[in-house]
Amino acid sequence: MSQPLAKSDTTLPQPANTQEGTFVERRKRPRIAIEPRNPPPPPSLKDYEGIVDSADLDEIRWIAHQLRGKSIKLINATALGGTIADTLNRIIPLLKELEIQAQWDVITGGNDFYYVNKAFLGALQGGAYQLTPEVLDVYVAYIEQNRQRLDFGADIVVAHDFQPVALVQSRTQHQKWLWRCHIDLSNPHPDVWGFFRPYIERYDAAIFSSAAFAKNLRIPQYLFYPSLDPLSEMNKPLDDEFVTRVCEDFGIDRKRPIVTQISRFERGKDPAGVVQAYKLAKKYVDCQLVLAGSGVNEDPESKLVLDQVFEEAGDDPDVIVLNLPPWSSLEMNALQQASDVIVQKSLQEGFGLTVTEALWKSKPVIGSAVGGIPAQIVHKITGMLVHSIEGCAYQIRYLLTHPDFAHQLGRNGHEHVKENLLITRSLKSWLVLCSSLLGRS
Amino acid sequence: LAAQHTAIPQIPKAKAPFYFNSATHLVRVEREQAHSLGELLDAMRGCSEASIFQHTYQTLAEHHFIRQGFSNDFAHWTFSACNEIGLAEQLAAIDVRNFTTIANLRTELVNMLGEYLDRVPRARDRAAAEPFYFCASELFLIPTPFAAADLAEFADCLRKVSVHSIQHHFIDARLRLRLSSNDFSQWLEVDADRADLAAKINRIDFYTQTLNGVRAKIVDIVESAL
Repeated sequence: MSQPLAKSDTTLPQPANTQEGTFVERRKRPRIAIEPRNPPPPPSLKDYEGIVDSADLDEIRWIAHQLRGKSIKLINATALGGTIADTLNRIIPLLKELEIQAQWDVITGGNDFYYVNKAFLGALQGGAYQLTPEVLDVYVAYIEQNRQRLDFGADIVVAHDFQPVALVQSRTQHQKWLWRCHIDLSNPHPDVWGFFRPYIERYDAAIFSSAAFAKNLRIPQYLFYPSLDPLSEMNKPLDDEFVTRVCEDFGIDRKRPIVTQISRFERGKDPAGVVQAYKLAKKYVDCQLVLAGSGVNEDPESKLVLDQVFEEAGDDPDVIVLNLPPWSSLEMNALQQASDVIVQKSLQEGFGLTVTEALWKSKPVIGSAVGGIPAQIVHKITGMLVHSIEGCAYQIRYLLTHPDFAHQLGRNGHEHVKENLLITRSLKSWLVLCSSLLGRS
Repeated sequence: LAAQHTAIPQIPKAKAPFYFNSATHLVRVEREQAHSLGELLDAMRGCSEASIFQHTYQTLAEHHFIRQGFSNDFAHWTFSACNEIGLAEQLAAIDVRNFTTIANLRTELVNMLGEYLDRVPRARDRAAAEPFYFCASELFLIPTPFAAADLAEFADCLRKVSVHSIQHHFIDARLRLRLSSNDFSQWLEVDADRADLAAKINRIDFYTQTLNGVRAKIVDIVESAL
């Protein structure tokens, strides 16, 4: 079995061994950059023509015209990495192109602020937690610092996720404030939720990624699906030559079926469960399993999860585990494009944008019926929903042996994303909501 | 030379042009939830009309690329979360074209569900695999630059507008007009004196094809008359 890659390409993985004990090195030195590449320039709205109807783009321009000259401030907790920062990086240039003054600010704080927010994140997603006055003091103190530091002078302020929620104390009379929640709030820790709720109810509206995450609030709540950018490195079409090269680098045989899960190595993503499902399926169909993710080096829990994956996989050379640097979007994209079936067997999930990415690439997807995945997978139509390891194993076998059906799922999935989950749809929703709040519709 | 010249047939102008509009919507999450079919019935009786619209008309458009097996959210949930296949089939067979008001559509849904639960009482309180969350549509009208003064221009504009415009004029229009018709057929019959084309277009089945398929069929019908 392959070992995880080191963070850079300077360390080769340990060689794999066959059952007979013969040494087999299946992986060459991967050609992944040691440092992040310079990002390509952000696309303009016109670049989406051909992917989205030009009439649809014209509708976006018309709605934006109602907001021309207005200002929007977007605030979140991280400038780099993660879905929120990635999305803001793509959407802000589009807002500016549409003559809307979009500004992005990031709240700052010390390590104690980081750890408090990490604990809050777990608690708001249902984890056990002991809320203490000291913890609240840390949060409140850093929010006060950020209130002093940041300028909130905009027509609309959008706070992303819970970290900047309490900044709403700075709102003025003629502003509109929106709270965009990206996490699963269906079962939050009552004390932590009780702390944030009064702040949230001072916003004009809240936006959730799934109706299941919404709460009983005194403000309007909207459903906005997260979206993907079809022109990003993670989702753009790739030359088949490049896809083959990436597979060769990682020791993946493109002539044999490939089953893939792309996710961080976290318990909630259940990579060990995916290995179990693969092993059950492999009794009847030949396939390789690729588990690719990033972030192991930074997170101690990920290392434990990875150990569990290795233990589960034993010495099977067809289980290929890849811990890639965060700037490996092109390689992740290639792995998805090379796959015959893509799995997202999460035990807990926010929206599950990796499912969206797989659907966009017209791949048959097997996803757990958790979080936002059922909003993307209409069972047997845009993908297959499962509730167990055994169910996942059965669907891997079925899809690998029924390629016509798998192909149809992929086609439907692609259309679903095209209609409902692209960045242009998200941009339109934001513009309509802002326009409506400012009385421009 | 004059004798050899073939007159180009004139396409008659309509009495009034057809102005194409489009629409977009926001989905608002409502308070009602259902954890069983009994709760679905209660919520269905009291929810807003915008909710009934969202879970029937709007969801049909959101899933228009599925040409078979998807009709409305109530039917889908009854099948996937409650495993009541017979009821799901009945609900899926509800055709929004038979209703010109949301109130009538709601009455049909409530009657169908109520009668089923009277017949199969065990299904009333059995817990669903996942809750049904009621949402509601907030619709926003978007004007477009497209207008047609005759059939040729009409076909040309149809090719250029977004699928949301097709949805707005062909599906949602029934509620606006309160007629078993659509904006395209109304214009063809009233302003372009082509009742024959209007009737053909009104028979296009949007349950069995995508909105782009609907668009192509309308264009075919109009162009065949040019």
